[in-house]
Amino acid sequence: MITIGHYLILATFLFAVGMIGALTRKSAIIVFLCVELMLNSVNLVFLALGRYFGQLDGALFAFFVMAVSAAEAAVGVAIVVAFIRRQGTSNIDAANLMKW
Amino acid sequence: MLTAILFFVLAFTGFTGALLLVFHKNPIVASLGMAVSTVTLGVLYIFLHVPFLGFFQMIVYAGAVMVIALYVIMALGREEIGVEVGTSQVLLSYAAALLFIFYVYRLLRKSGFGAFFPVEKTFGSIQSFGNLLVTQYAVPFEIASVLLLGAMIGAIILSRREWS
Repeated sequence: MITIGHYLILATFLFAVGMIGALTRKSAIIVFLCVELMLNSVNLVFLALGRYFGQLDGALFAFFVMAVSAAEAAVGVAIVVAFIRRQGTSNIDAANLMKW
Repeated sequence: MLTAILFFVLAFTGFTGALLLVFHKNPIVASLGMAVSTVTLGVLYIFLHVPFLGFFQMIVYAGAVMVIALYVIMALGREEIGVEVGTSQVLLSYAAALLFIFYVYRLLRKSGFGAFFPVEKTFGSIQSFGNLLVTQYAVPFEIASVLLLGAMIGAIILSRREWS
């Protein structure tokens, strides 16, 4: 019997793994994909709780999260491409202009 | 029973894809792992009675986002930059993830693991979804359209050639 706890635990683990990736990976594109993974797991929580309470509002919120993450994908990939062109590498340690 | 087995298979596959994304050295394998993870999450959305969003997820993520990411990796940034091990940043991130899991576990233990109640037939249909989208959520919908337009213009400006 699958309960809401299973979905929430799966989403929690996916979010934690995505967080580890976003904090430790050095490739800019992989960091960006890890952020997408975290957004996906949040979507799963929205849908599971919306299904649990029998309301469609959770699905609507997941829909808007998808719209925002699509916009983020377009702008993020453009930023990554500009960064790689400028620095010649996708290593985010090269982005140290504002580091002191 | 069948849905339980399917859920665990899908959860295992999706989690393996996420682990591949985070820990594999080759960026192409990593992004393919992310694609596997998004597709299994889409199937889980279908299990949650929102099939429209499930297919939407597969089209948008596995179809658009992953293809763009793979394209950028193949065209520009195919370097093997793996996980850096042993630094304090890595240890702190693991500690943060464990703390997060621990607090969610405490929250779940307090609230319990409720079973899903059956929902009415129209739950999650495209008709009810669209009805809600143009009535109660009309303003966020319009704001999302403006946001996507701005993102499109921003992406065009950012990827012009004379910018760099």
